[in-house]
Amino acid sequence: MIDNAEKKIDAYIKNMPSLPTTVAKVLEVCNNPRTSPADLNHVISLDPVLVGRVLKLINSAYYGLGQQVTSLVRAIIMLGINTVKNLALSSAVLRNLSSRKDFQALDMEGFWRHSLCVGVAAKVLAKHRGIDSKLTEEYFTAGLLHDIGKIPLNAVLSKEYVMAISVSDRERISLHRAEGQILGIDHTKSGAMIASAWKLEGAVGDAIAHHHAYMEYEGPFKDILFSVVLANRFASIMGIGFSGNRYPEKLDNAVWEFLKLDRSIFDEIEQVVNQEIEKAKVFLRVE
Amino acid sequence: MFSVRFWGDRGSIPCPGPATVKFGGNTSCLEIRADDRLVIVDLGTGVKPLGDWLMGNDFKKGPLDADIFITHTHWDHIMGFPMFTPIFIPGTKLRIRGPVSYEDDSLESIIGAQLSYRYWPVRQSELAATIEYAQLKETILDLGKGLIVKTKYLNHPILCLGYRFEYEGKSIITAYDNEPFRNVFPTDPQDPGYDEDAAKEGELAAREENEKILRFYQGADVLIHDTQYTQKEYEGGKIGWGHSSFEHAINSAHKAGVKKLVLFHHDPNRTDDQLEELEKGYQRRIRGKTAMEIMMAREGLRVEA
Repeated sequence: MIDNAEKKIDAYIKNMPSLPTTVAKVLEVCNNPRTSPADLNHVISLDPVLVGRVLKLINSAYYGLGQQVTSLVRAIIMLGINTVKNLALSSAVLRNLSSRKDFQALDMEGFWRHSLCVGVAAKVLAKHRGIDSKLTEEYFTAGLLHDIGKIPLNAVLSKEYVMAISVSDRERISLHRAEGQILGIDHTKSGAMIASAWKLEGAVGDAIAHHHAYMEYEGPFKDILFSVVLANRFASIMGIGFSGNRYPEKLDNAVWEFLKLDRSIFDEIEQVVNQEIEKAKVFLRVE
Repeated sequence: MFSVRFWGDRGSIPCPGPATVKFGGNTSCLEIRADDRLVIVDLGTGVKPLGDWLMGNDFKKGPLDADIFITHTHWDHIMGFPMFTPIFIPGTKLRIRGPVSYEDDSLESIIGAQLSYRYWPVRQSELAATIEYAQLKETILDLGKGLIVKTKYLNHPILCLGYRFEYEGKSIITAYDNEPFRNVFPTDPQDPGYDEDAAKEGELAAREENEKILRFYQGADVLIHDTQYTQKEYEGGKIGWGHSSFEHAINSAHKAGVKKLVLFHHDPNRTDDQLEELEKGYQRRIRGKTAMEIMMAREGLRVEA
């Protein structure tokens, strides 16, 4: 157990940088006065931290909106392209200063790809199950952000986080258990702190906070949560991206039953998910 | 008594001259009276003649105490402030409220910075009036003695609020500068930026935001609406500029059951003759189709709620 772990994480979250993978693209898109809303939506939606920051802003007390906004498309329509551009620009510049060194234990590219894969897969699963396409954006956001709690652990407690990853490897336990043992806090807890700081209540916040303890979940967003859990499983079985967890726990059958899916779905969606990730990679020039 | 008087109705920039004598050339400024209460909406150049008038009238009864609401901080809505004489009079109390974009400075520094030596011979710190500033968001404010104001975000390239003033069961609403929300995402599958989900979510979001604005107007006794363009002008290159057409304002006001619609924020190039012709034309077009009254804002016009 680390002294003041939560305090340190809390301080970090207050000024949390975004992932640098997309920085160059964000700068290019946002500095271009001819950027279209579609381009802006595209570049931001590929970056979990930026999506979070934009949603955080629009849901903040600053605007005092009566209703929770959970989609970037709506945020752009409501706030206007200029405000969202400025927001993305400023946070891209800010994060560029600090974030490479924040990725010590975790591989940044691997983390990014894992997050994107879970987001895309959750959305593809939802579409496959006939979920209304107006709602699928939230499945994507929930998947994209589900592991965001790893960023402060990795940045603030980096030495201990290296240790947690090696304990997870050596003892063949899921990373979140090793985090709990070594750090006294796991990424669902630190993720919940981010969700609360960024006001990501609802499905996105619940997916962040409960994606490992999903069997105990009794909230109203079980459909999205279970889709993210399954998408997470998909990412790990297919080996798309890597966010430090070599030994994820076995998936409970209840997930398959609840979503009315069987294992063949993984093969069915693999190609579409890979295509979506390839599109994103081309767009972001991630090698 | 609950009324609004127009001291400036022009959009974008003041435009004095022989072609703007009847409707006026000053930029946005409204004087709202709820019995003995004074509310000013916007500090465009119309606030200069309003200030002069207040000096000769309200000041006879004692020091001025007023609430000022700024719709947004674009230049034409704040530029009259340094020439508003009451700010130089000891005892004047002003509460200035308005929205500010998150990336911007405070309301006090945006409006007050006009009073710095580079722009003006008097500095803000030299003003005799007591001025409080507060940033506004979507909210309901009780201004006391039965006067209430509700606010609603509008669609403009900068954060902009509409105001709904309610007093003794009557309402006066401002809806400028405002363009109807629209889906800014491509809906044509052939478009390279096309994304099915974004297109659908965009359609839904725009529709819902427009419905919220309609609810904000609902049953208004007086609605003062942005009508900088005709529909033809709007579609001919002004989409995304943050303003509405006459047609949009008239249709949405009618749908919301508005009683009196005042067409406002005239384009700076619009002449008196054109405005008169437009006013008559739109009045003719709605005759017999709605009980709503429509009129073109002009300096000096006073409308009772």
